[in-house]
Amino acid sequence: MKISRLPSDEVFRSLVSSGEGLSGEEAARRLSEFGYNEIEPLRRKSLLRKFLEQFTHFLAVLLWIAALMSFLSDFLNPGEGMFSLGIAITAVIFINAVFTFLQEYRAERALEAMKKLLPFRVRVLRDGREKEAAAGEIVPGDVILLEGGDKVPADSRLIDTSCLTLNMAPLTGESEPVVMDHEPAVDDLTEGRNIAFAGTTAVSGSGKAVVFATGMKTEFGRIAHLTSAVETGLSPLQKEIIKVTRIIALIATATGVLFFMAGHFIGRSFWDNFIFAIGIIVANVPEGLLPTVTLSLAMGSQRMAGKMALIKTLTSVETLGSVTVVCTDKTGTLTVNRMEVKTAWVDGKTLDVPTIKREGSHILATAARLCNNARFAEGRYTGDPTEVALLRAYEGSAGIHDERVSEIPFNPERKLMTTVNRLDGRTFAFTKGATEALLPLCSHYVIKGEKTQADEAFGKHVTRAGQELMDKGLRVLSFAYRELPVSAEPAANQEELEKNLVFIGLIGLEDPPRPEVPAALKKCCRAGIRVIMSEREVLFARMTPRHKMRVVSILKDLGERVAVTGDGVNDAPALKMADIGIAMGIAGTDVAREAADMILMDDNFATIVNAIEEGRAVYENIRKFISYIFSSNIPEIIPYIAYVLFSIPLPLTIMQILAVDLGTDMLPALALGAERPSKEIMSRPPRVKKERLLSSGLLARAYLFLGPIEAAAGLFGFFYILRTGGWHAGEFLAPDNTLYLQATTACLTAIIVTQIANVFACRSSRESVFRLGFLTNRLIFAGIAFELALQLFIVYHPFGNMIFGTHPVSLDTWLVLLPFALLLFFLEEFRKFLVRRRNAVHPS
Amino acid sequence: MYRKILAAVNEHVNSEIAARYAMELARAAGSKLYICHVAEKSASAKSIQPAEEAAKRLFHRAREAGIEAESIFDTGDPVKRIGNIVRSERIDVVFAATRRKDIERRFYSGTIARKLSVALPCAVALVRVVHMGKLRPRKILVPLKARINHISEHAYFTAMMATAFDSCVYLFHTARLITKFFHGEVGLSPLEPENGLRKDLARFSECLGKYKVVQEKRLVSGRVGRNISIEAAAKRFDLVIMGASERGLLNSLLKGNPVEDVLRETPCDLIIFKPGHEDKQTAVG
Repeated sequence: MKISRLPSDEVFRSLVSSGEGLSGEEAARRLSEFGYNEIEPLRRKSLLRKFLEQFTHFLAVLLWIAALMSFLSDFLNPGEGMFSLGIAITAVIFINAVFTFLQEYRAERALEAMKKLLPFRVRVLRDGREKEAAAGEIVPGDVILLEGGDKVPADSRLIDTSCLTLNMAPLTGESEPVVMDHEPAVDDLTEGRNIAFAGTTAVSGSGKAVVFATGMKTEFGRIAHLTSAVETGLSPLQKEIIKVTRIIALIATATGVLFFMAGHFIGRSFWDNFIFAIGIIVANVPEGLLPTVTLSLAMGSQRMAGKMALIKTLTSVETLGSVTVVCTDKTGTLTVNRMEVKTAWVDGKTLDVPTIKREGSHILATAARLCNNARFAEGRYTGDPTEVALLRAYEGSAGIHDERVSEIPFNPERKLMTTVNRLDGRTFAFTKGATEALLPLCSHYVIKGEKTQADEAFGKHVTRAGQELMDKGLRVLSFAYRELPVSAEPAANQEELEKNLVFIGLIGLEDPPRPEVPAALKKCCRAGIRVIMSEREVLFARMTPRHKMRVVSILKDLGERVAVTGDGVNDAPALKMADIGIAMGIAGTDVAREAADMILMDDNFATIVNAIEEGRAVYENIRKFISYIFSSNIPEIIPYIAYVLFSIPLPLTIMQILAVDLGTDMLPALALGAERPSKEIMSRPPRVKKERLLSSGLLARAYLFLGPIEAAAGLFGFFYILRTGGWHAGEFLAPDNTLYLQATTACLTAIIVTQIANVFACRSSRESVFRLGFLTNRLIFAGIAFELALQLFIVYHPFGNMIFGTHPVSLDTWLVLLPFALLLFFLEEFRKFLVRRRNAVHPS
Repeated sequence: MYRKILAAVNEHVNSEIAARYAMELARAAGSKLYICHVAEKSASAKSIQPAEEAAKRLFHRAREAGIEAESIFDTGDPVKRIGNIVRSERIDVVFAATRRKDIERRFYSGTIARKLSVALPCAVALVRVVHMGKLRPRKILVPLKARINHISEHAYFTAMMATAFDSCVYLFHTARLITKFFHGEVGLSPLEPENGLRKDLARFSECLGKYKVVQEKRLVSGRVGRNISIEAAAKRFDLVIMGASERGLLNSLLKGNPVEDVLRETPCDLIIFKPGHEDKQTAVG
């Protein structure tokens, strides 16, 4: 036997309570056994675990291996600067971990701040007396009192009701208030009209209920429990980074093994070959990639925060860019959530809002005003949004003396509501509802104050008028009245009251769309993103949160990347299951916000579209700086290979490699990460799932085209200094020889100079820089200024010379290297030109 | 099998709810019900009074339901006194409610529930009451491990509870995930049950069948405790009946303890059942 099916006395007996409520002592005892009436936060990873995970993801592991190899190499062959490299790589891992952790921790704090700090209070019977108690202290067996505006604190069985309606939207998604009852039900627990669930709100009327479940044992808690069970996988970017890391690891290891074997065949010793192989492997690892990706995502997250989208996990920034479907709620997200009367149909003609106001004395206005439970008190309207709109439009239209006698509440099955009112000494029944439900009850209609017999033709006429209003996207309500004898019994039965009605007219209401929404929807359409509106719209009629979860699950199975919005507790599992769960910052519940990846601070659909655009830009930008960073790997590796294979002095020391990877490259790469979304970014379809972050095209461009030009520049600079200084092939140069120091400095300078050209080249893989505009990303210039300043410090400051083993070079050296930068820049422009021309011929 | 059932009550309402399960079992099995309250010597009148009232209510309710019932009020150490009653009256099964504070301790160490479970020479059903609205459980979840101990008694208890409430029984087994070095955790497919499961599950099911209990089976893989509570929440089960843990404290600390996990997270009432002959055959862990 369910509690919903028991009569009131049995309910009390089962819950060991009474109509007078629990005693304070018993309530305290139950509180100690059942715990506080609160929803436990979703299981979250501990801060320590989150921090430790920053050290164990795939790229971090690769860097750990690189650091260990550096230490091993230093142990076997001291004095090559490998120890410093190991320390630097370890520092990169730590700095990155702390930075990422702090970013995500800050987002968590922002979320915490949004939680409602003040616990709400409820009226409860204790020791037979009504008193106020904190909702958290409600226990099973407590008798609570409800009236319009009260939030239900726990799952309770209603034992007394008076026209009580509850807004179940947070649980079921049903926006219409539900009329409650206290009689034993025959429905299942969840469908019973005598159960008030925690989290719902009393809209009107009053009631008394006895609590049977609190905290996590309520329906609200059950959903929170289930939400924590939804396993979230890795984000697309995390998966891509893993793939990139595997490719780098493969390339580095393969190159190391290859040169180890090559060294063996040319007769070098085992240990020489081993140390060389480690050097090659470490040089291949892009130490700067991890912090640059993190910083780029953090910048994207900051930009999104500026656009009212709070990102909880950094990698979600990029996931947004890959979204193919957005499932969004309509009310409040696409619309302003403020119902307004737009038009009325009376006397056979359509009236606009000003005319309706002028004709406020019309009986339609009186019916709309009196057959209405919305209230205006303390400077604000309360009640159902539709009724509030009617009240706002027709306030002051009733008679001088009007009085409500009785009411038949709105019922979704009947789709009708009737009130009996005394108006200036006369008694009227006013009925409003759906046209198809009201028309059959009307025997007459009124035109210009004259009552006329209703016939079939009139019925069709009204139906057509209603359809025309609905075609304009309006919600249509029909109104009718009937004058009752003055002596009419207030509690006349429903059938009696709602017969022989006189049809008055129709009112069309609208929840207007937010002004930014039409443009945002067009943008989605251009960007190949499908938008599915939940609620009563096109695709999914009256979609409840449970259906939403199913829709998300099916879309994901179909290979879509799904963003879903939600605010209710029931939305939480869907939010967690989606690739991107988006919670409403204003209307959302704490549970929904905790389950989401992103929070809309303004509950506005246009913000989602802006965030998607930003996400796409972030992905593009990551590819840009990967090209940039990977290009400089080649001029770091080639000199090393030349040193081993051709027995020349080492052209670039380990510390100088580090100066590029973790110094001069960093800010220009970050400036690429801040590149604005290109104009066509939202004109392209979402990237396909199999598209790789590190594609063969990107690798070929970096490793086989841009990188070799930089390597040629580096070796040219090195030998230019050696030759002009009188060096001959095979001549040994000590590590502190000035000529040697200047030669390595020239090699490093060559890489810097060509990387300056490269940063412009990498701004787009297809578009000419001249078309993009040189000044459109001013951060590039800031990055280059930093790069040059750092290089000048390394080359000309004694402290820089000491750390990086450099020596000042003349201006001539810079000038002879300049053509390489121009060569790289214009060759890349030419390549882009060929790509564009090929695309123009073969658009596919 | 169970001719005499004892329900221990105290001043807390959850002990009264737990005793109702005992009462329903007594009705289904045609057993005599002993409603027992043992007040500790230090107990105040304030705590004794609600316990005695609860016992009286239960007694009247049992009588109304046509169940032979007897009330016992005593003072002293509850574990010792109940032990004495069990021995003198030859009680077959004892029902006791777990306390909220019990679940905060590892495997109830030092709690009365733990002591009763270990010390009593009969079957013990420890009841965790969390939801007072599910008065007559229609769906009972019965999680089973790969090798089930005392199958016939466990199945009898389950069948009697199902009969008492006219409920459906869902047998549920969670196979542990296999962790592979390169692939991480790999779940078993439903076609790969553990070797011992098929035989024991079939026997358990067969035993239930003798009592004409409607039953279904489900096999999943994953974390045992978590899966049970999620299954109970997702499918809206009204009651979970699971066997008592046989893991020792150290083993629980190292490997975790599914019973403890379910105790903490159960969304519906839970009965942890220790068969009566367990103390004679295996040590309770």
